[in-house]
Amino acid sequence: MASVYTPPVQTLIDELGRLPGIGPKSAQRIAFHLLKVPADDANRLALAISEAKDKVRFCERCFNVSDAELCGFCSDDRRDSSVICVVEEARDIVSIERTGEFRGRYHVLLGSMSPLEGIGPEQLKIRELLSRLGPEGVEEVIVCTNPNTEGEVTAMYLARALKPLGLTVTRIASGLPVGGDLEYADELTLGRALEGRRPID
Amino acid sequence: MIIERIELVDYRNYASASFVLTGGITAVLGRNGQGKTNLAEALAYLATLTSFRGAPPDALVRVGADNGVIRATIREDDGREVLIEAELSRVGRNRVQINRQKLGRTRDLLGVMRVSVFAPDDLIIVKGGPAERRRFLDDALVALKTSYDAMRLELDRIVRQRNSLLKQAGGRMSEEIGITLDVWDARLADVGEQLGYARATLVARCQPMVSEAYEQLAGEAVPVELVYEPEWRRIGLAKALGESRQLDIRRGVSTVGPQRDELTISLNGLPARSHASQGEQRTLALAMRLATHRLVAERTGSTPVLVLDDVLSELDPERATALLANLPLGQVVITSASPLPAAAHPERIIRIRSGTILDDRTSDGQP
Ligand SMILES: [Zn+2]
Repeated sequence: MASVYTPPVQTLIDELGRLPGIGPKSAQRIAFHLLKVPADDANRLALAISEAKDKVRFCERCFNVSDAELCGFCSDDRRDSSVICVVEEARDIVSIERTGEFRGRYHVLLGSMSPLEGIGPEQLKIRELLSRLGPEGVEEVIVCTNPNTEGEVTAMYLARALKPLGLTVTRIASGLPVGGDLEYADELTLGRALEGRRPID
Repeated sequence: MIIERIELVDYRNYASASFVLTGGITAVLGRNGQGKTNLAEALAYLATLTSFRGAPPDALVRVGADNGVIRATIREDDGREVLIEAELSRVGRNRVQINRQKLGRTRDLLGVMRVSVFAPDDLIIVKGGPAERRRFLDDALVALKTSYDAMRLELDRIVRQRNSLLKQAGGRMSEEIGITLDVWDARLADVGEQLGYARATLVARCQPMVSEAYEQLAGEAVPVELVYEPEWRRIGLAKALGESRQLDIRRGVSTVGPQRDELTISLNGLPARSHASQGEQRTLALAMRLATHRLVAERTGSTPVLVLDDVLSELDPERATALLANLPLGQVVITSASPLPAAAHPERIIRIRSGTILDDRTSDGQP
């Protein structure tokens, strides 16, 4: 389809449209909003993006966002290193921390299995998870991927990869809304789900 | 539950119109292209959040407007009044409110309002491809229990993901692809078995009701048979997927599962799709709609609002009269381009022209 906008506008719409959760309609709306606001406001956003990209990196061990080699959880000796909670995104860590139910360490996969987006097990930080198990003396892995299609399949894949290694692999209990997102689960539900975790078959 | 009022603002060809419905039969009369089916579509939209004509939501907004609204006041059986509003947007998100409270997820609206639509296009249930019959079954399941909506979306998602994986394999099997397919297969088997079981149960329950409805409409008893017996249900989907893996890899698509199943409809022992006359096919489609409408009423304890969109004119006078005589008790909206048959007895007659209500009167029951 030929573009109806001049190239810079179309490029902006295209770039916005590549962001998660932004459909073509929203991309158009945000683009025209940005064109309307004072230059300072738009530039502040551009700066915030490039600064974050510059200064923030991923923890070398767990792939949480961090400003140092290791994130706060990985460098905190008081955390129990025998239990690892596996999440899809760093923002899920915030949800789980809010419950106050978990004192172990984390591992961020940076996504979930989704062939439609070209994401297979190799694109996720699964190999890196496996390499942590021995050195850190991990005994239990709690799989806290989202309770949606991709999250469930990823959980199953992890269980099949981890169980032969003699680990306890558990999944957060149901009670979370099906098709949902950890991000939207309230802390009470999530806390209960963590407590009631069960082994994956 | 009955719908007391439905209001359309910037919806299709309506700038603003408010229809007051009775608890019995309301007739909406007007020539073709004046907005009868648009009204039927709006009623059904609040029940299913989809257009039964398959239109995307932004196509429902009136040309020249950015947002459209469908607003219904419904009266529950216990007397409570509920206000339902769906805002359709060309530019932003579609929103749904119940009693002015915004729903976090629009799909939470499902089940609040139940509407059965009979339309001339229903003929494709009998005449169309297997996908039309699968849709018929799944729509009926969602009307029976809203959780089937999530199940059907999930199945669709799993199949699309699995097909994408098969395409990436490029016809070649590797260890990595095999391990990844294993987990997608397990998930497909899990959800697919549940949906297959639900469909089979539904078909078994519907079978006698379809026969009965067909007899009522046709005026004669003709053997009607519905068969939903996919091969995979005999050995289990997990096993069937294993057996079809090589083929799936070669073809780059999932060849087994509920997404490929067929519901065979026979009349007099012959497949209705290829052997029945157009009139018989039409009667069968109507009988199937009537059967699921009755089943939903029976199982949920609440009769859905029945919308007969331009259906009567498609039937010969005997069948039209037979349909009217066998309408289940409850609220009915009949749209028509021609005067209703004498047997209709509407309590209210609303005439429309190009998206405007011309007149609206309660009737003494005479056409
Ligand atoms: Zn870390």
